[in-house]
Amino acid sequence: MKSIIDFLNILLPLFYIVTFVIYSYDFTKGGKKFIHSKRLFLFLTLIAHAVYLILRTIYFDHPPITNVFEIFTVLAFSISFAYFILELVTDIRGTGPFIIIISILFQVISSLFIQDVMEVKAVLRNHLLGFHVFSALIGYAGISISAVYGVLYLILYKEIKLNKFGLIFNRLPDLETLETLSFYSAVIGFVLLSVAIIIGIIWLPKAFPNFSYADPKLIGTSLVWILYGAGILSKIFGKWRGRKVILLSIIGFVLAILSTTITNFLSQSFHSFY
Amino acid sequence: MNLFAVSISHHTAPIELREALFFGDEEIKQFVEKTKGNLFNEGLVISTCNRTEIYGIPVHKELQYSEILNSIQSIKSVSDIQAGHFKNLFSREAVTHLFEVITGIDSLLIGDNQIYHQVKDSFQLSENLHFTGFLMKRLFDFAVKTGKRAITETEISEGAVTVSYAAVQLIEKIFSSLGKKSALVIGTGESGEIAAKHLMERGIGKLAVTNRTIERAEKVAQKLNAKILSFTNFKEYLHEYDIIISATSAENLILSKDDIKTAMKKRNYANMVLMDIAIPRDIDPASKEIDYVFYNDIDSLNIIVEQNLEKRKGEIPKVKRIVNEEVDNFFEWYNSLEVAPTIKNLRDYFETIRAEEVDKNKNRFSSEDQEKLEIITKRIINKILHHPTLELRKLNQSDNNIDETAIKMSLLRDLFGIDDNKTASSTHDIDEEGKDN
Repeated sequence: MKSIIDFLNILLPLFYIVTFVIYSYDFTKGGKKFIHSKRLFLFLTLIAHAVYLILRTIYFDHPPITNVFEIFTVLAFSISFAYFILELVTDIRGTGPFIIIISILFQVISSLFIQDVMEVKAVLRNHLLGFHVFSALIGYAGISISAVYGVLYLILYKEIKLNKFGLIFNRLPDLETLETLSFYSAVIGFVLLSVAIIIGIIWLPKAFPNFSYADPKLIGTSLVWILYGAGILSKIFGKWRGRKVILLSIIGFVLAILSTTITNFLSQSFHSFY
Repeated sequence: MNLFAVSISHHTAPIELREALFFGDEEIKQFVEKTKGNLFNEGLVISTCNRTEIYGIPVHKELQYSEILNSIQSIKSVSDIQAGHFKNLFSREAVTHLFEVITGIDSLLIGDNQIYHQVKDSFQLSENLHFTGFLMKRLFDFAVKTGKRAITETEISEGAVTVSYAAVQLIEKIFSSLGKKSALVIGTGESGEIAAKHLMERGIGKLAVTNRTIERAEKVAQKLNAKILSFTNFKEYLHEYDIIISATSAENLILSKDDIKTAMKKRNYANMVLMDIAIPRDIDPASKEIDYVFYNDIDSLNIIVEQNLEKRKGEIPKVKRIVNEEVDNFFEWYNSLEVAPTIKNLRDYFETIRAEEVDKNKNRFSSEDQEKLEIITKRIINKILHHPTLELRKLNQSDNNIDETAIKMSLLRDLFGIDDNKTASSTHDIDEEGKDN
């Protein structure tokens, strides 16, 4: 089983890169060559990734959430899986390369640095922690996708305003659709981050004797959560729209990445396990 | 194949002559009455604002193109017209030309799929006038199949190639569904009316028009089921509209940047599209500086048109390949109607039935009798086919009209069901596709 895990660890970045190349080819060249088959490539990549995650969980006897590189591979999977579902539901197929490239980034880093950790702290085998981390990760996947659609919205907005009718204009969906996709991804991200925060607030003080509300990761995530909450509410009540909400979503994403990076690599807190 | 065709189009004649030679339905009827049985056994007349074309299977194979031109001029007496304004085509060239016309690659506006429907309508008219026969019907089937393949297998008709369609394409890049949007068309001249019509076709939720002359606005509003706004105070309602198309002949600006700014404030900066398709322009171009205002004039819309035309030109080689394939298919079918292959197919057909029946029943006979059974049944088949074979060979003699012979061959093939599977299935496909439209 270990050799299969190692093999998949090498193979997964390649799978994502091949899928990305096919999606990019379809985006730039158009036509009907890969319009349907590209989805099959993404599906096969996701299957391989799901098998990899399951095998890791079984072999190492804990969910792959115990260190940052395990979390990166789950994040890579969550982002592409969320996009796959979004593509199936909306049938909007022109935005794949922009999402899959994020999965490539996370998966390549994970594949390069992931370690085989057999012994983990008892707390990391707790089911509630599993829920806490998974909901946070899917929440982050949601806000990542929201940020990508946000950036695409801003690019298309500018292209139309400047009367540039190139590849972006021809291939991307319309502005309203990009805004809607960005908004709904943000809502999903916000809801799941809320779940992660609620579980955290209830359970973490009991599980960690050194728990502190001044924990940097807790503060960072709360800030991101407040930012998204404000953006979503202002959009729902019609106060803000378009670029303002999108910019808020992108700032939220950048803040989320910064908060995760800083807390994991720089600061020492109960929230770091490695 | 004795198919004659004459064509006058933008390739051969100026617009004045093309307009002068446009045949209305009544004139096509007169032309058919005049030529059916005299010049042509069957035929097809296609007449649009850009081309007039006549295709026909002649009564006599010595038919001269000048006779066709004389018939045209007897209906449409146009001075200054010369034989050089017409392209004369025969047999394979004529078939290829028809297929190129229906695919839109011969059109002034490359890939214009309106011609596809115009050819179908022309054929329907010919059929109503009993001008189409067996060969023209098959030719039409192949033509429709070619047109359909060009549309589905290539991008020859993709993208907007007129300014008003480009405006709609751009609007659809901003809004996800026009059904929930409202549009105001300022100026109901030809351009404004076309733009309003395109919006209606795309399912715009609410449409309003305004025009300096109220009568003209009423006429267009009635046609398109649109609301009318008074030209004197329409600016007060600008904020209610997501799309504003302006196409007046006014000498000065009608909408200033401040007008747009006021409207945007009232609508809380929801996206607004301004399409200024007037020359000189109606809307202050500085309006584009306002957030969430998407301003476009003729020049920027022309960029889209030019890009799409270039893309369509790039698709022409693919369409030509399809045309060549279908011309080959058509002639493969047509050549199967020659006498020699028909005789062979007929004999093979009878021989297959004989052999099958002998095979099924031979066990009822002794081995000696089985040999006799073979000989007797072969003799019966030969006797049955002797007279038909002689008659078929007579048809092959040079003084017979090859198209009439082809029709007889086809009847014979249909009667015995000896068309090969390929031809039968392809014909079925065409019929099915024809029903879709």
